[in-house]
Amino acid sequence: MKLSVFFLSGALVVSGVAAAVAHGGATGIVKERMDAMGAMGKVMKSLSAMMRGETEYDAEAVRKGAEVLQSHSGEALTKQFPEGSIEGPSEAKPEIWSNWEEFSGISGQLKLFATALGEAADNGLSKPGARGGMMGQGGMMGQGGMMGQGGMMGQGSMMGNPSHMQNPELLAQMPVQGLFNMTAQTCSACHTKFRIEKK
Amino acid sequence: MRIWLVGAFSALAIAGAGFAGLHYWPIGKPVELEASQGDPQRGAYLARMSGCIACHTDIEGGGTPLAGGLKLPTDFGTFYSPNLTTDRENGIGAWTLEDFAKAVRQGVSPDGDPYYPSFPFPFYAKFSDQDVADLWAAFQTVPPVAEASKAHEMVPPFNVRSGLKVWRGAFLGTEAFRPDSNRSETWNRGKFIVEGPAHCGACHTPRNLLGARQAELYLHGADKLPDGGKSPPITASSLREGGWTVGSLSYALQTGVMPDGDVFGGSMGEVVRDGTAFLSEEDRKAIATYLLERDE
Repeated sequence: MKLSVFFLSGALVVSGVAAAVAHGGATGIVKERMDAMGAMGKVMKSLSAMMRGETEYDAEAVRKGAEVLQSHSGEALTKQFPEGSIEGPSEAKPEIWSNWEEFSGISGQLKLFATALGEAADNGLSKPGARGGMMGQGGMMGQGGMMGQGGMMGQGSMMGNPSHMQNPELLAQMPVQGLFNMTAQTCSACHTKFRIEKK
Repeated sequence: MRIWLVGAFSALAIAGAGFAGLHYWPIGKPVELEASQGDPQRGAYLARMSGCIACHTDIEGGGTPLAGGLKLPTDFGTFYSPNLTTDRENGIGAWTLEDFAKAVRQGVSPDGDPYYPSFPFPFYAKFSDQDVADLWAAFQTVPPVAEASKAHEMVPPFNVRSGLKVWRGAFLGTEAFRPDSNRSETWNRGKFIVEGPAHCGACHTPRNLLGARQAELYLHGADKLPDGGKSPPITASSLREGGWTVGSLSYALQTGVMPDGDVFGGSMGEVVRDGTAFLSEEDRKAIATYLLERDE
């Protein structure tokens, strides 16, 4: 009897641990930021379906989604990465702290783009006639872009954003598709440098 | 395991050397091109698709485009991408179109030396004569950079380049591209891009102990990539199981956004940032169509 209780409680403890692992097992600040990333992922999922034309364009949903992205970017994001916080299931690379300026720079960039995304919601997906918008295919690459002065490198596109990409007012005039792509590319830039790919 | 590897490679090298005088064993086929006039625009687009710039530019280190120097650590040693600018001493400025064709499609240097397969020439073998001429025309527009290429730091016995001749004999297939006439033009365009310039299989097909891709596991995903990461399988069935469609896959190749809302990181983030984001919508759709509708 006593023995079976002992085993039963053991099994309970084990299953409790298993559940915690399945849920990521994250605690404290690591859990907080994983939840924040998850919230942004949810927004990206629903907005990207809209960008691909699978769901109807909804300016209000773009504004609300952009608000979520904005609330988790900039300092709100960097504050969730106190130095050395890589415990548990964290996917953060230690390079975050040896390269803090770049990390916080990308986070600030995300806030800038997310803010513009919300303000541009009424601009619509793309400007009439300008398929894909500014960042679409024609833009950076199209005729001569890659072969311009810089030879085979598109003009500095790999080396950072030109200054007009930093101007909030100009950004807010862009079509949503272009801004959303820039937002996604910012996410990817940070994941590429600072996230451990566990999947 | 490394010992096993070294042993196997040495045995191959010694056996080969004993037999034929490996050093003098000529490799590669003579080059006769049907096209010599290239279109630099088209070539630059192909170069982008092929990852030339991404791998031959040390972006992090502030390197000049195509001047090389990017580090690629592997089990066999550390590779450094060489200078591909038009500098005559340090780059490929003194090469002919035929030299270039042989290097890109056969993996043989103008001096007759074999290149390590870290340079994905087995994929570039799919290039047509016109593709090669276009690429060559594009490379002519690259300003010279007088920076010497860094020597690879190989772990013995892989530092013996002529051992690669045995490797080539054992593993290398460099067939030209063959379209499938029963399939759509889009599908065939995707097949060309995936099997050729985009060299998807370089990371998504697992390699054997000697670094050769395992044909029967084509696109089944691999671990132990140079950056320490893993690549997922991208066979048609696994992609469909993962919920991918032609629309979502071509969109991911443009933006990095996956169907679940997560955004690519790791080396796939780089592939999108430096490569597929710059392709035409049609080409991204072609890649997605081929991958999702491939026979397995």
